[in-house]
Amino acid sequence: MTTAIEFKHVKKDFHGTNVIPDLNLSVKKGELFVLVGTSGSGKTTSLKMINRLEPLTAGEILVNDRDTTTVPVRDLRWDMGYVLQQIALFPTMTVAQNIAVIPEMKGTPKKEIAKTIDELLTEVGLDPEVYRNRMPDELSGGEQQRIGILRAIASKPSIVLMDEPFSALDPLSRQQLQDLVLTLHQRYGNTIVFVTHDMSEALKLGDRIGIMRHGDLLQVDTPSAIAQHPVNDFVRDFFGASRAKNVYDIYVGRVGLVQGYLKEKPAVADNRIQTLDTEDTLRTGFEALANHDYLAITDDKVVQGYLDRQTVMAYLSMHENG
Amino acid sequence: MQTLIQTFMERRGDLLTALWQHLGISIAALVIAMIIAIPLAIWAVRRPKMAEGLLQLTSVLQTIPSLALLGLLIPLVGIGTVPAVIALIIYALLPIFQNTYLGISEIDDSIEEAADAFGMSRMRKLFKVEFPIALPQIISGIRTALVLIIGTATLAALIGAGGLGTFIMLGIDRNNTSLLLIGAISSALLAIVLSALVRWFQTAKPKQALTVFAVIVALLGSGGAYSAYANRTETITIAGKLGSEPEILINMYKDLIEASDAHVKVALKPNFGKTTFLFSALKHNQIDIYPEFTGSVLETLVKGNNPKSMTAVETYHLAKQRLAKQDEMSLLKPMAYNNTYALAVTKKFKQEHQLETISDLTQVDSLLKPGMTLEFIDRDDGLKGLKKAYGLDVTAKSMEPALRYEAISKGRINLVDAYSTDSELRQYHLAILKDNKHFFPTYQGAPLMTTAFANKHPKVVQSLNKLAGKISETDMQEMNYEVNVKNKSAATVAHNYLIKHGLLEGSN
Ligand SMILES: Nc1ncnc2c1ncn2[C@@H]1O[C@H](COP(=O)(O)OP(=O)(O)O)[C@@H](O)[C@H]1O
Ligand SMILES: [Mg+2]
Repeated sequence: MTTAIEFKHVKKDFHGTNVIPDLNLSVKKGELFVLVGTSGSGKTTSLKMINRLEPLTAGEILVNDRDTTTVPVRDLRWDMGYVLQQIALFPTMTVAQNIAVIPEMKGTPKKEIAKTIDELLTEVGLDPEVYRNRMPDELSGGEQQRIGILRAIASKPSIVLMDEPFSALDPLSRQQLQDLVLTLHQRYGNTIVFVTHDMSEALKLGDRIGIMRHGDLLQVDTPSAIAQHPVNDFVRDFFGASRAKNVYDIYVGRVGLVQGYLKEKPAVADNRIQTLDTEDTLRTGFEALANHDYLAITDDKVVQGYLDRQTVMAYLSMHENG
Repeated sequence: MQTLIQTFMERRGDLLTALWQHLGISIAALVIAMIIAIPLAIWAVRRPKMAEGLLQLTSVLQTIPSLALLGLLIPLVGIGTVPAVIALIIYALLPIFQNTYLGISEIDDSIEEAADAFGMSRMRKLFKVEFPIALPQIISGIRTALVLIIGTATLAALIGAGGLGTFIMLGIDRNNTSLLLIGAISSALLAIVLSALVRWFQTAKPKQALTVFAVIVALLGSGGAYSAYANRTETITIAGKLGSEPEILINMYKDLIEASDAHVKVALKPNFGKTTFLFSALKHNQIDIYPEFTGSVLETLVKGNNPKSMTAVETYHLAKQRLAKQDEMSLLKPMAYNNTYALAVTKKFKQEHQLETISDLTQVDSLLKPGMTLEFIDRDDGLKGLKKAYGLDVTAKSMEPALRYEAISKGRINLVDAYSTDSELRQYHLAILKDNKHFFPTYQGAPLMTTAFANKHPKVVQSLNKLAGKISETDMQEMNYEVNVKNKSAATVAHNYLIKHGLLEGSN
């Protein structure tokens, strides 16, 4: 696999104050990379340096192996979708016009654009006939951000940058849109850099996660590796803080990630095993274990692994008191 | 109300012309102000310090009183449409600049960021994103400017640019409320209609808006093209001072000149301004001819001491000579009437006491009950000097100008000061006493033009000289009466006079 984005000794000052001292990071092609960290840790700044909304103070960033400063900024940005927390749809344009912004600039034929718009709308569950000519202020927040995402991917860019795109949405919309990002990522195989301050969102989405603090990357790894081997107390705490307020509301999938699954199917009768989805809560799992011995955790009907009572109890005891 | 409607019906032709002028000046000023202010505001959005300065500058410009502004512009660009439009542009800058600037700079940062992140060029961002978002605010600025312009444009009449202000000025000048109201109401209506039109532009579909805009531009354009076409024949511009009398005179000039030469077209600018104003317009070739008075020439236009007690002929020759020498201008031969201060009594009183001249008044000193304007009583060339010159022993009551005619017709007074051609003399059956000692300076009307113009247009001079020695004081009183009181148009009154006195052939 080759590298899509590479930070090399990147340094960033604002008015003489250093915000990012020395950032080094490679994001692989086709990867969904999540940058997570508390507010003010430098996530947005890092993201904006990729599409040159912020200039670097020192160092360089390579995109598809080329120094971004040597690529015409327009070409760089036309191949790099951008999704904002504020959504920022253009308020005087219809849904269709918003989605068409980049294809139009690229000179894509009108017919082709119209077809793409209809396909994309259908794909995110919005009827083109109904939504095509609506204005942004006629949409709910969740619908708006769907359009925000479509606007970013309409011209099939190889890279998409997303800056806390769902943090202003209600929990239900957030969950739906997270699923949408996973689906679209799967479909288009693009490289996504996704910024969030929410560890559970990071765990759900990330192929790999980078944890930032004070402009430094503390750890870059897969979700399970971070869960099992946090490099220091900050990461452990941050990870802990990501738990839902009530431990029983956590997804059972998380337990598997943290504690590890039993990979072999247990040698017991099938009626001793309860099948659950990764996104069922620990509460459901706990109740199921009252009259079953094992849980089979599935994602899209594919079994990820098995959990026994001990594993679940261990997770609970570790996290119940915080 | 009755008279208002009547006046309106009589004047609707003039009103349409004035409305058109008003619209032309206003739209020209608005469009130019937009062309200046909108790009300037766009430029300033990225330079907040400059923007601050520009905002202050435009607000200061707006606080200059309009009359002062017009006054300041006259020495720079003369009079007429140009200074009027410039003044209006200056007033329109602030609302348009301010609203455009604020409209764009208040756009949410995240929207700007999105536009940048999608690789929009500066221009594309401006036209596709910033402009549409700021448009409602920009348009409301344009509407504010428009209403301001249309109101202020009524002052354009003061410097000879025409428009609805001429009605207002005429109304004030002739103490005619109907005219004043027609001017004021039309200007208010125009503001309301145009403002609604601009608001419609904002909500209209782009195609409709474009069509309507194209139609308006085409209309104004074809108006301009028509006047350019009309100008292929030579156009002579004749202006007149405020009031009915000059307007009647210049209509006579027009008839006489056009009758003598089919290739000449005369454009009239009635109620163009006051004496010095017209004189400077003539000097700067903004107009070709205007009627001036011999007395006014000596008093205000040329240099040199004026000997006392000159006859009419002496006055004319001195005025003509000084104008030729000092300003290279030609004052053609004067008409008969003398529009000067005069003393008037009722015809009845005149007969009873067999009065002819002012000297005769000394016989009836004790019977006199004069009522006069404060100004006349107080002037050395008014009652003060008159008493000395004629040895007259009277004390006058000071009265408002309009009231003294009323008072003499009711018999409460029996001697008034007047202008010798006032239509009220006719209206109240008064007679003028002859100034046998030539105490009052003579004010005889005559066409004034540059000598260069006179030399180039011998036919015009010839035509105008037909009026020399014509039109008596009573003729003029009668004609003023027809226009001021009977509300006839000056053109008709002038035309009738020329036909009646055989100065113009033809039946119409
Ligand atoms: N335009 C700016 N000018 C000055 N300081 C800034 C600017 N943008 C961000 N910063 C500072 O840089 C640091 C990182 O900010 P940011 O990248 O926005 O963090 P995050 O997105 O992780 O919340 C913060 O301390 C913030 O105050
Ligand atoms: Mg941020």
